[in-house]
Amino acid sequence: MVSKSKWWFRILRAAALAALLFWTLAPVYIVLSNSFRRTLDIKKMPPELVFKPILLHFQRLLELDDFLKYFINSIVISLSVTIITLGLGTLAAYGMKLFKTRMGERLSNFLLVGKLVPAITILIPLYVMLNRIHLTGTYLGPILAHAAMGLPFITWLMTSFVWDIPVETLESACIEGCSRMRTFWHIVFPMLTPALASAAILIMQSSWNELLFSLQLTNINTYPLTVGIARYVGAISVDWGKCSAAATMSMVPIIAAGFFMQKYLVAGMTAGAVKG
Amino acid sequence: MRKSFCWSLEQGDLLPVILMAPAVLLVFCVLVVPLGFGLFLSFFDFGFGGFVPSRDFVGLKHYIAFFHDSTALRAVANTLAFSGLAILGDFILGTAAAVLIFQLSRRVAAIVRPLVTVPLLISPIVVGLIWRYMYDPRGLLYWLLGRVGITIDMFPGVTAASTALLSTVIAHWWQVVPFVVIVITAGLVSIPVELYEAAYVDGAGAFKSFWRITFPLLRDVYVVILLISGVDTIKVFDIVFALTGGGPNDSTVTMSIYAYSQGFSNSNLSYAMTISVVAMLVTFMVFGLPFIRHNRTRATR
Repeated sequence: MVSKSKWWFRILRAAALAALLFWTLAPVYIVLSNSFRRTLDIKKMPPELVFKPILLHFQRLLELDDFLKYFINSIVISLSVTIITLGLGTLAAYGMKLFKTRMGERLSNFLLVGKLVPAITILIPLYVMLNRIHLTGTYLGPILAHAAMGLPFITWLMTSFVWDIPVETLESACIEGCSRMRTFWHIVFPMLTPALASAAILIMQSSWNELLFSLQLTNINTYPLTVGIARYVGAISVDWGKCSAAATMSMVPIIAAGFFMQKYLVAGMTAGAVKG
Repeated sequence: MRKSFCWSLEQGDLLPVILMAPAVLLVFCVLVVPLGFGLFLSFFDFGFGGFVPSRDFVGLKHYIAFFHDSTALRAVANTLAFSGLAILGDFILGTAAAVLIFQLSRRVAAIVRPLVTVPLLISPIVVGLIWRYMYDPRGLLYWLLGRVGITIDMFPGVTAASTALLSTVIAHWWQVVPFVVIVITAGLVSIPVELYEAAYVDGAGAFKSFWRITFPLLRDVYVVILLISGVDTIKVFDIVFALTGGGPNDSTVTMSIYAYSQGFSNSNLSYAMTISVVAMLVTFMVFGLPFIRHNRTRATR
């Protein structure tokens, strides 16, 4: 198609592409770069493209506002959620495969109804319940909430991948005397590696980025980054240097992970949409 | 004796059930039980001071109050407006961007595509923060708009009730359009090139072949995007929380925002629960029934 277009059409297309990239990347660039600018320079328009980077905002963030702790909390929460969700989701998906009928597939489609429940509808009663047993303020609240909100989709996703493994492969392993759990570990699990990578990046980013549950279920010792950031936006006059540095701390790791696992991210998202 | 690989109930084989039990248990305890408890709470006057079910039962009081609460009704209207605008833009911008990227040479597309997906990975609270900076009167956006003669009085962004909701929707587009691009691209890949070639031979232009070939063949993809991103827009919280907090003048209060502020700022947990139950019902009515029907047709396919 490319060669057939007229010259003006090609210029138009190049301009549209430039606009798309500018629209997507300019806001990210400006906040990233602001976290290294002097407070005075942040409001300077047009922004200077060449400037001497400073680390003052990060220093304030780590020393005065405990963001290193929030950063570690975010890692603890999102890694725990990823491990729990992938473990339980994969086992459940394999369990559904073992049903003789198509009942497993129906069950996993039913799970998607869980996506219809707004987080706020779960948060309020969950908060009351966890508060009653004195578990608010611990890591347990957000971990349980993120895992439970993510599990239906992850289980569904893993089921759709497990479903692609031919039953004959499993049965031949069975004939050779492999128990079904050994079949799982030695045959199914290795075949699922790409699917697990897709599920992992999806669930990890959703937990890393989640705000609402963490906002109420954690306390000053267990705040993840998102809550630390949310505490800034309530302020009337925003300290843009500090905010930008906080935003940078939150987005750089997950963007890097997403870049690294781009292929799996896209596979997971399109499996969730095109297949389903 | 060789056991059959698949489960049969008659043999009393419990392995599939054991495998599924932990996941089901977690979802049950953390989703289903709170949901039931929340529904229960919405019929009571619940406070932290102590709770006596027989004394605090109020029946439908909170639900009746909901329909007499102008802010609550405003929240429903705002949520639906946000959702409608958001989905409309997601479709138009997402399709345009996907078709644009799809026409690039493979090498350029390999560079462009990962760059375009960046906003997807960013936390919505950070997206809100980024756009709060963009909408700053002395920020990049107004500087750029100033170049083409648009002043802050002409588009007051998040500071005026008339444009605040649109401003939050723009931030949503910025984040979610890349998702639509990814999904539509996957759909575009599945369309055979021969169709376009035949259309070209028959003299159809680019727009005509889009309307007659691409669009109809992507119908299923659009339905899925509508359901997935539609459900997410009804639940919108973070972006609004960061950008406007519901203001100015309640012009951006969504159902999640209103439930949150009633529950945690006003300590009115029962009423907050009522609002969030209504939010769930709205989600269910607007997107749930088509969602389930779609799943069922797919399951039987």
